[in-house]
Amino acid sequence: MRTGVWYLQEIILQLRSAPAYLLLLEAVLLVWLIKVLFFTKSYKPHRTKLTQKEKEDLVEEWTPEPLVPDTPADHPGLHPRSFEGKLGKIIRINGQDCINLASLNFLDMNGNEEIEAGAIKTLKKYGVGACGPRGFYGTIDIHLELEDKLSAFLGLEEVAQYSYGFSVLSTAIPAYAKSGDVIFCDEGACFAIQQGLRASRSKVWFFKHNDADDLERMMKLQDDIDQKNPQKALTLRRFLVVEGLYMNYGDICPLPKLIELKKRYKVRMFLDESLSFGVLGANGKGVTEYFGVPITDVDWIGASLENCMATTGGFCGGRAFVMNHQRLGGLGYAFSAALPSMLASSTITSLEQMQRSPDMFVTLARNATYMQQKLESIPGMTLKGLPISPIKHLSLEGSMETRKQEVCLLEEVVQEAESRGVAIVLARYLDDMEYILPKPSIRVAVSSGFSVEELSRAADVVATACATVLARHRGVEAN
Amino acid sequence: MQAAGLVNPNTSWLNSRGAWLFYILIITVGHLILLSFPFLSVAAVWTLTNTIHNIVTFTVLHTLKGTPWMTADQGKSRLQTHWEQIDCGTQFTSTRKFFTAVPVAVFILASFYTKYDTVHFFVNSLSLLFVLLPKLPQFHGVRLFGINKY
Repeated sequence: MRTGVWYLQEIILQLRSAPAYLLLLEAVLLVWLIKVLFFTKSYKPHRTKLTQKEKEDLVEEWTPEPLVPDTPADHPGLHPRSFEGKLGKIIRINGQDCINLASLNFLDMNGNEEIEAGAIKTLKKYGVGACGPRGFYGTIDIHLELEDKLSAFLGLEEVAQYSYGFSVLSTAIPAYAKSGDVIFCDEGACFAIQQGLRASRSKVWFFKHNDADDLERMMKLQDDIDQKNPQKALTLRRFLVVEGLYMNYGDICPLPKLIELKKRYKVRMFLDESLSFGVLGANGKGVTEYFGVPITDVDWIGASLENCMATTGGFCGGRAFVMNHQRLGGLGYAFSAALPSMLASSTITSLEQMQRSPDMFVTLARNATYMQQKLESIPGMTLKGLPISPIKHLSLEGSMETRKQEVCLLEEVVQEAESRGVAIVLARYLDDMEYILPKPSIRVAVSSGFSVEELSRAADVVATACATVLARHRGVEAN
Repeated sequence: MQAAGLVNPNTSWLNSRGAWLFYILIITVGHLILLSFPFLSVAAVWTLTNTIHNIVTFTVLHTLKGTPWMTADQGKSRLQTHWEQIDCGTQFTSTRKFFTAVPVAVFILASFYTKYDTVHFFVNSLSLLFVLLPKLPQFHGVRLFGINKY
């Protein structure tokens, strides 16, 4: 058609009026495109193959990394201390009998003959292991008996018994607190609690150690957040986690004030009584008995029984519906093997002894107070911990340049004391994982089995060891 | 989402029936939509079509990596762009040739309709360069300056 030709004419005119270099570029592009479209064959690019010589060169070049990396010679892992015999009042280190102020053996039940005889009888009846977790054929009647006895002793509705004391705290907290919940926790909480908080993925408010006012301030802040978002606040769970007797500090939580706050702000309270069960209170029932607070005010009580009874494991107790959740949802309960029967029977025997002779708690308190007096007066060292606490932290008065130096100095004190017949130990932490790393300290653990003379002798040895090491260091500094 | 059957459907979905036609249709429809704006001149519309087409194809074919679904190739395609995944890395297959030809065709049409105005030509050829270079076999798996490497 004439219009079609006219368009073609227009096109040619336009092409003519275009700048020549641009047309050239386009022509080049078209030529390239035609080459790509019609004059190439499809191929799969091959991977470069190495020749035999290249392969041999690469193999020769390669140096393997050492299985054991370079470690400093003074690493504590390279110098383990070993002892023989039972972890009782006296332990035998490298052939020398030492007074044991290192093991947490508050009621001196390690090596107790009655407990051992009962355990051997149980061993002959049931064998060694439970061979399964509690929910999968691992429950023996001894476990149920132990749970009943513990709940009767404490006056709790139900008790769930764990086979590992650490996991009582670290797996029970995440069983109830999930991502999105709120937990108020003391700054100085022990590592087990910290792991539980991490595993729970909840929002954690750390309040200053034993500072109920700081806790109230934080609860108010959380309350404000809740007021702004009432829909979310309805689905939010709030928890308060504290220890009865703090492992890292040796002091007691202000339980009545905490209970009052808990009731006012509707927060569920988790109490870790690992160090206070079998220690505080007239009958050793823990911090609730110590303050005269009804135990039902606390929603969940957990404790590791490894510190005061001759056993491993722990328990947690509370209302029946709370505990039932844990039997399925607590990972340490549901997925760990149950307690061996002989240890369960040791626990029962220990509990019976505790109930029979409550004067052991009085003796423990007396020993702890006495030790406090003796250790407080060591020049150049400070003692942290309440007089009634069987755990005391002895640390350097000032502080040295680096933490490593302080740790080394305290290690020297420990070695000195050991050479003179007293076994003490440094409080160890996973330095990069603790929320607040406490000052390096020697952790002294008092037991109710010691007489005052033994304690006096031990305290004198510790004082001499400190004096020797401090003098040595002062001499080094002076020179 | 598990893509059943093929190890990685990204390698072959552009070979499937109607994929090429669909591609042309999208460009045409997009161009027609842009033409419907009264305030844009013909030259501007063609430059826009060319540029938008190049930006979109660059992003989809040469920037996005991996697949929207789990593949059974142990993650080999996680670091590869869509272009590199086509036909499992085989160069100069018909799909690749087609997808190389279309931007050139759009470019030639655009430079014609913009009457070879210098600015338009510059913009169009720049975007064409961006789109053509990654398609060369020499650029297979190449990441310049470590951009978009992982």
